[in-house]
Amino acid sequence: MLLDVRDLHVEFRTRDGVAKAVNGVTYSVDAGETLAVLGESGSGKSVTAQAIMGILDIPPGRITGGEILFQGRDLLQLKEDERRKVRGAEMAMIFQDALSSLNPVLSVGDQLGEMFIVHRGMSRKDARAKAVELMDRVRIPAAKERVGQYPHQFSGGMRQRIMIAMALALEPALIIADEPTTALDVTVQAQVMDLLAELQQEYHMGLILITHDLGVVADVADRIAVMYAGRIVETAPVHDIYKAPAHPYTRGLLDSIPRLDQKGQELYAIKGLPPNLMAIPPGCAFHPRCPRAQDICRTDEPPLFRVEGPGEDGERRSACHFWRETLRDA
Amino acid sequence: MPEQAEPILEVRGLVKHFPLTRGIVFKKKIGAVKAVDGVDFDLGSGETLGIVGESGCGKSTVAKLLMNLERPTEGVIRYKGEDITRLSGRALKAVRRNIQMVFQDPYTSLNPRMTVGDIIGEPYEIHPEAAPKGDRRRRVQELLDVVGLNPEYINRYPHQFSGGQRQRIGIARGLALRPEIIVADEPVSALDVSVQAQVVNLLDRLQSEFHLSYVFIAHDLSIVRHISDRVGVMYLGRIVETGTDEQIYEHPTHPYTQALLSAAPVPDPDAREQRERILLAGDVPSPANPPSGCRFRTRCWKAQRRCEVEVPLLAVPESFADGPRAHPSACHFAEERHVVPDGA
Repeated sequence: MLLDVRDLHVEFRTRDGVAKAVNGVTYSVDAGETLAVLGESGSGKSVTAQAIMGILDIPPGRITGGEILFQGRDLLQLKEDERRKVRGAEMAMIFQDALSSLNPVLSVGDQLGEMFIVHRGMSRKDARAKAVELMDRVRIPAAKERVGQYPHQFSGGMRQRIMIAMALALEPALIIADEPTTALDVTVQAQVMDLLAELQQEYHMGLILITHDLGVVADVADRIAVMYAGRIVETAPVHDIYKAPAHPYTRGLLDSIPRLDQKGQELYAIKGLPPNLMAIPPGCAFHPRCPRAQDICRTDEPPLFRVEGPGEDGERRSACHFWRETLRDA
Repeated sequence: MPEQAEPILEVRGLVKHFPLTRGIVFKKKIGAVKAVDGVDFDLGSGETLGIVGESGCGKSTVAKLLMNLERPTEGVIRYKGEDITRLSGRALKAVRRNIQMVFQDPYTSLNPRMTVGDIIGEPYEIHPEAAPKGDRRRRVQELLDVVGLNPEYINRYPHQFSGGQRQRIGIARGLALRPEIIVADEPVSALDVSVQAQVVNLLDRLQSEFHLSYVFIAHDLSIVRHISDRVGVMYLGRIVETGTDEQIYEHPTHPYTQALLSAAPVPDPDAREQRERILLAGDVPSPANPPSGCRFRTRCWKAQRRCEVEVPLLAVPESFADGPRAHPSACHFAEERHVVPDGA
């Protein structure tokens, strides 16, 4: 197991109270595997990623429990200088907005090369050569001529390629991509996702893809973890979840997207709103919006039940008291 | 939608160029961004026209032109037969009452210092004839109810609402003057998936309730198909293909439409293997310096010499006999290709 997150808890102290952003998240990623973490805003998907990378703002953030085992070591026990060696070299992150993630006053060559100077102790000249090589890898045309250019001189898709190049620079074992294509146009999105998937195969990296887009997930993921109110509500191999979701929230999400191949009638809409993280409903956090909710859902928080049934290889879990019924009706 | 005798909105030869200047004191024009460069379409009464395209294709500029927020460089926009692009003063105000807008970002399009009641009621300040003063509060509460918000929220501020609720407030404001046309520019793209469906359903319901005509601008192909009766696909300031939702999605003939449809992520992992993806090379060229001839030719796999010199007209391709599939496409080599996998 490359990465094993166990029972992670993160909260934020604010003036108005404590926001419980992550409430016992458990997931794992193998080398060469793509795990898609799916959730809406406020589900805790990005905060979990920040905790793994060690870039959480502390304070106001605070990790209140759990373990993050990376190649067998608990990252939460490491000192900051040890952690820094892991970050970038062994795990790297790609952010949604490449324009604000890149430094506008440094050329892309300098920013790419910095990785090699800081982590590998290379000379400026060698680092520059490496930068050109990386830009070639992510298929930026005329890399040699463009290495001295600044971020604003590149298009959105090209900037995201530079972000990918930067993440790949030190050949990390794990890449976390947080909504990597959300800001891009459809045709460019396809190019970037394809590139990412191809490079992942080539380097045999683990990839955590954080997204809200069910279409992107279906295209690239091996496994899916669906998050709601800071918890994992369902995790399963990708084909199983689309065929027969075992949690009403997943079901609702799948039913609420309009289809490309047909003109539907009224869309199914999950009623209500995502919960306020300062006042998460007791029991199952989804119960106020759930069509299946019973008394037990209002009082008992459902554990991640193991879902049995026909399906692909790989474990399936659902945090719903009525997963059997949900699965049956799917 | 049945054929309408007369469209409520007719757009002919719409052009908007933004000048590029150099110098501060003596501004010299050195070129122009051709944001919209010859767009024609009709909008029937009670109909939804979807306009899809990627960033920079000019779809939002079209919205601004329809709203009369920008003056077109050339072309006409006829509302019920009358050209509205040259109107000013009282005549313009009267037309504006009937064409309202819903914006993309519910966070920046609502004034944080105004209460919801003031935001939704503000159109009545500008058009006092629409509602007598004493009646406004009641009207606003009615509107809140219509868009599915509690009428008692009238004194709250925008920050007390979620994104989806804010978009409902924006829609209520758009409805305040009982317009006939609503121009919606990416009205759901900033919302979460589960909330998107709620707002799309609301727009659907309001359309039949108030007999509204929509111009629905978006980049999300599935949502556009869901809501539109007819669709226009834009690329670099021009409409490259237009037709009913069925014609565009099931029988696309323009290479750009085909590429766009094939690139749209499909929520079905089984489609991964069976679908063919058309991956376009490169980026969209700058609208300040668009390619000659067909604007898509620099990224098109069918491009030939002819595409370089001859601008393709938006017309029904000859290969189509007059059938239910026949629809206009601006390509010299238009050819039908099925790109949306079943079950997508």
